[in-house]
This record gives sequence, structure tokens and C-alpha cells, in this order.
Amino acid sequence: MSGPFVIAVPAKGRLQDNAEKFFARAGLALIKPRGARDYRGAIAGLDGVEVAYLSASEITGQLAQGAVHMGVTGEDLVREMMPDVDARVVLVTGLGFGFANVVVAVPQAWIDVRTMADVDDVATAFRHHHGRKMRVATKYVNLTRNFFSQNGVIDYRIVESAGATEGAPAAGTAEMIVDITTTGATLAANALKIVEDGTILRSQANLVASRAAAWGEREREIARIILDRIAAQGRAGAFREVRARFAACDNALVSEAEQRFGVETPFGGPTSSGMLTLHCPPDEVYALTAFLRDKGAEAVAVADLDYVFSRENPLFARLAERLA
Amino acid sequence: MNADGQIAGLKNGIAAGGKPDPRAEGLVASYERAGYRRLFPAMLQPAEPFLDLSGEDIRRRMFLTTAPSGEEFCLRPDLTIPVSLDYLQSGQAGRAQGYCYLGPVFRHRAGTSGEVMQAGIESFGRSDTTAADAEMLALGLEAVTQYGLTKPDVQIGDVALFSAMVAALDVAPAWKRRLIKDFNRKSNLAQDLNRLVLGGSNERPEYQGVLAALAGSDPKGAHALVTDLLSIAGISAVGGRSVGEIADRFLEQATLGASAKLPREMRAVIEKFLAIAGEPDEAAAALRALAAEAKLDLGGALDLFESRIGFLAARGIDVGALRFATAFSRGFDYYSGFLFEITDPSRTGDPLVAGGRYDALLSRLGSTQPIPAVGFSVWVERLAIYGSAS
Repeated sequence: MSGPFVIAVPAKGRLQDNAEKFFARAGLALIKPRGARDYRGAIAGLDGVEVAYLSASEITGQLAQGAVHMGVTGEDLVREMMPDVDARVVLVTGLGFGFANVVVAVPQAWIDVRTMADVDDVATAFRHHHGRKMRVATKYVNLTRNFFSQNGVIDYRIVESAGATEGAPAAGTAEMIVDITTTGATLAANALKIVEDGTILRSQANLVASRAAAWGEREREIARIILDRIAAQGRAGAFREVRARFAACDNALVSEAEQRFGVETPFGGPTSSGMLTLHCPPDEVYALTAFLRDKGAEAVAVADLDYVFSRENPLFARLAERLA
Repeated sequence: MNADGQIAGLKNGIAAGGKPDPRAEGLVASYERAGYRRLFPAMLQPAEPFLDLSGEDIRRRMFLTTAPSGEEFCLRPDLTIPVSLDYLQSGQAGRAQGYCYLGPVFRHRAGTSGEVMQAGIESFGRSDTTAADAEMLALGLEAVTQYGLTKPDVQIGDVALFSAMVAALDVAPAWKRRLIKDFNRKSNLAQDLNRLVLGGSNERPEYQGVLAALAGSDPKGAHALVTDLLSIAGISAVGGRSVGEIADRFLEQATLGASAKLPREMRAVIEKFLAIAGEPDEAAAALRALAAEAKLDLGGALDLFESRIGFLAARGIDVGALRFATAFSRGFDYYSGFLFEITDPSRTGDPLVAGGRYDALLSRLGSTQPIPAVGFSVWVERLAIYGSAS
């Protein structure tokens, strides 16, 4: 008898709220049968699944070791903590929250610095001028080293910083920083600016699968169900359902709508009575309704979708391919 | 004993922490007889000097550990820095003193034990620099001969020639910094020159108008203006760079203007310079010709180069068999002059012996006075595959 299928979810803060909402939207309610303070939970109606509440960096570590099957964590942590990302995990899908960029930032007073090429030159000049290397404060040691190396920057030292990295230049413990930012407000408040081509990574929360975990038939089946629901919800969120019935509705009209508005036809072309169901990207809905009315539709109904299940399961297909 | 037996014995010896191969011991003994004092630097070293001198990139190849106090230590990734540090603390600092060593260095390399035996010499404080350079190459060649390799390939170079050429060029300081840095890091600078641009961005600079207005104005006045503007903003020194430094470089950008490309005629001179290679004597003549043609004052660098050739010949080295290239560099920015690498062209091409002059290193390690230094390392395990000379 093998152990449960473990899915790791952030244990606190906005990431936990967002993750729980995300799963709930996909019809996967995370529950804590033994009370809210418990660090182990389950998914309502899905047997054999254990939900582990951990910190984002613990989740990343456990994914690397294969101690959990899937987890929700930031791409920034995955890329920082695993030198061999593709060998260890599969980034199954971005979850649409936890957006943040890992960026190179320098003091605003450095009016002579706009690009990484400037950073490179300043670093070399700094060493000649001060007889020591420029210090970069960061917790993203590996991301920084790789990015600086790609940009040919060599005259720098990394100062590891566990928190309040953006204060390091003002405190005199570093010349510049590499840190995570969402709006840039904290950087600006500390008189720092982002180097123009200094965005190392555009990160968001990801659903990540561990390649090293035990993937028997049972585990694959559970992953298939979870990903089927997530894909159905994801597809539902990307479209509105648009329905109309009118005599002039024909295949030529449908292909024009496909080209102009990016609509999909989940149930095929119009029926013999001219009944048509389209899935349309939200931004194009109004233009599509105008187009359909122009072509003769008396009424056009638009509705939100909860789920769109399709025979294919692209998320699971990707995972299965990478686990093989 | 056959070669295979030697290798097996050697590997076992190292794995058990025993003595390395007797020929390596013999090699170091010969250095001691020649007056080089043997040092046994600590295996565990403070990580700081290695990271500072070799760059953050070396971190991924180092075996690091942290003391309970938080200080970072490493298993020594080379012996040049430990020997230099021991010399600086010996009370001999500044005086002429040569050292030899034999022991393991530790560098992570996938698929290997991470432990490599190295022998070598570091010579400090000798003012007869070109004679000392020549002695290092002679000793390095003796090492491979002792191991039975009679016709090695010897590549030599001289970083000081490139530095002198760049110093003599009439280009902005930013270009000089960039060229020196790229030379030290890249073996293919010549191919890289085409793409070499400053700033890296083709967009209009944010302050182009201001920069254009400042270009050509009185440098002192412009500097004062920029410094004042920064001061008005309440900025004195942020992140270790002074307002003066920022103003200097800001104005430097102004003088460079829109031309982020290296001027064509400068590029032509550099390309001609980097194309000079071959027999040292012929190369010296070609360098003299280029210096005259391009009106480059190479200072004393060329004289030292020729003086070194003389000392090499005096040591009985077949100078005509050495392969010199102006573009030759070993990828470390602490080399400052003569460089060499001995390889076996019929095998992997990995260096068997390599070394050079590093006059700036001791100052960067904390010496208050400049101390000339030159040395080399021998990869004794790579040499162990050759039959004994006896």
C-alpha cells in the first residue's frame, strides 16, 4: 500500500488565500477535517489526497526531493533553488496570482546607469576606483549569478540578504540589489530604480509537479482528475458563451467570426435550424454580438462559463509526457 | 612499472590520503634544491579572497562551508592565493622569496572526485622580472621533461603588451576599461570586436538633450553642475559611489555621445595587434612595426618582452619553438604580464603546466607595497600518464 497523493499548498498569507480560491474555483475544495490550525488537509470528494500546508520555500524543497507530488509555489523560488529545474520538476501551469518580477535595481542617484551594460561598466570602474568589488545584496544568489554572467558582469560580490534587501544600499551594506517586486513601490520608497533590461524573471505562482515523487497508476489518475478540473476551469475563465439563432447563420459566417474574434465552436457549426453556440474571449464579446446582429440575429445571449470539460486534457498530457 | 600501474597506485594513494606519486615528490624536492622553500598551506581557507579575486562564478565550483561564527571557509580551490597569503604573513613580505608546494586543490567538476593534485612555484619580490619570468618557464619545461614528455606544445603571451596598447589608444576611458576586461575574460576578443558596443542599447538615452548640451562645455564647470544637481536632490553617497564618481561617468557618457561603436580606425589597430602571433622574435619585430605605423607608444612593455626572449634563450630554451600570440589570455584578470601554458597536442590539450606574472595580486590581498610575483602550477596527475624519463 503506497502513501497518499500529497499536494502542498502555502501555509499562510495571501498565497494561501489565493491558492484555496483557485482550487475552489476548479471544484476542488480544500478542507481541514481536524480544524483550521491543522497543517494537513484533504480535498472534498477526492479520496487518497493529502493537502500539506507548508511555506513556499519548503514546498519548493519538497518538490525537488520528491516528498510531495504537486505543489503551489512561485517560479522564482523554483528557479533559484533548483539548478536543474527540468530534471526535477514540471511547471504544469501558471495560476494567475502571486505575480512578481525578480529585478536588478540600483540607486536612483546613479543617473549614469540605465542598462545592464552600464552596470557592467560601473562595476569594473568601481573596482578600479575603490580597490574592492561592488556588492549586490540578494536572496536570489543563483539567479543573480547566472544573469550577471549572461550579461558579462564579473566585478561584483554577492551579499546574501534574508530580508529587507531594498534597504541595503541606504544602509551601506551593498551598492545595488536583486530583489522581487510587484509594483516597484517599495523600490521607489528606498530611492532605487529598476535597470531597463534588468528583469531576470517574470514570476507567478505555479502548479508544479515533482518528477522524483512516486508516480504509480493511482497517482497519475489523481493528477489526471485534478488537472482535468483545473483545465476545465481555466478554459471556462478564458471564454464567454455566446448563443444565437438565425436563418442566415452558416459555416462561412462562423469562419469569419473565428478569424475576426478568435471564437471557438465547442459543439460544431450551426444546427439545421440556425442555432449557434460560440466561445468567445471576453474582450471580443461585444464586437461579436454586434457582428451577429448585423448578420441578422434578433437576440444574442451571453453567459459566463463555470467549466468547459473537453475530451483532451492538455495539462495532464504535458505532465504525463514529462514524467515518462 | 607500466603507466597503468602508476595511475592505479597514484589514485589509491590519494583516496587513502597517503603520499602522492613519488615522481611528484621528486619534482618538488628538485624545486627545494633550487632554493624554493616548501610550504604546506592550510586546506581550509577563508573563502573571501578567492571569491574576491576569481569572481562570483567560481562559487559554483568551490566546496564552501560556514563556521559557527558565520564566516565562510572553503577547501582551497588553488594554491597561488594560499601561498601568497602565507608569504604576506611570514614577515618576509616585500623581500625576494620563492616557494614551492605539492598538494591537493578542490574544484567541483561533474563526474570527478573534485580533488586535483598540483605542484608548483610562486616567486615573490624579484625585481629582475624578465629573468624571473624566463626561469618559471624553464622550470615548467623541466617538469614535463622529467615526466618523459619531450616535445610539448608551449603557448606564451603577455598581458602587459595588450594593456600598453590600450593605454596608448586615443579612446575614451570607458572603452579602455571595456577592452581590458574583455581581453582578460575572452579568448575570442578578435571576433568579438565587431559586436563590441558601449551602452548596449540603441534607444535614445534618457538624458540625451542634457548630455548633448554638456558635451564640449568646460569639463570642470559641467562636473560642478552635475555634482550640484545631485546635491540639491539630497544625494551625497548612495551605495558606495560618490557623487563625484557618478558625475564623472555621466559626463563620460556625454563625451561618447551617440557613437556607442568603437571608432573604426581604433578597431583596425586592435585587430592588427591581436593578429600578431608566431615565433617570439618575429612577433616582436611585427609589434615594433605596428607601433611605429599607428604611432602607438607601447612604453617599456615591448622592451621587456624582448628582454625576456633574451633570458629564455640564455636558459637554453628553443625560443623559435615557442608559440607566441598577442591574443593569448588565461581567463583570470589577475595576470599582469608574461603568461604560458604547456600542453600535449597529441592528447586532450588540457594544460599540464600553466602560469604567469601577477604583480597586482599581493596588493589586492592587502599588501601595502606593490610586490612583483610570478609562478606556475603543474597538474601532476595529468603528467603521470607519461613514462619515466629515466
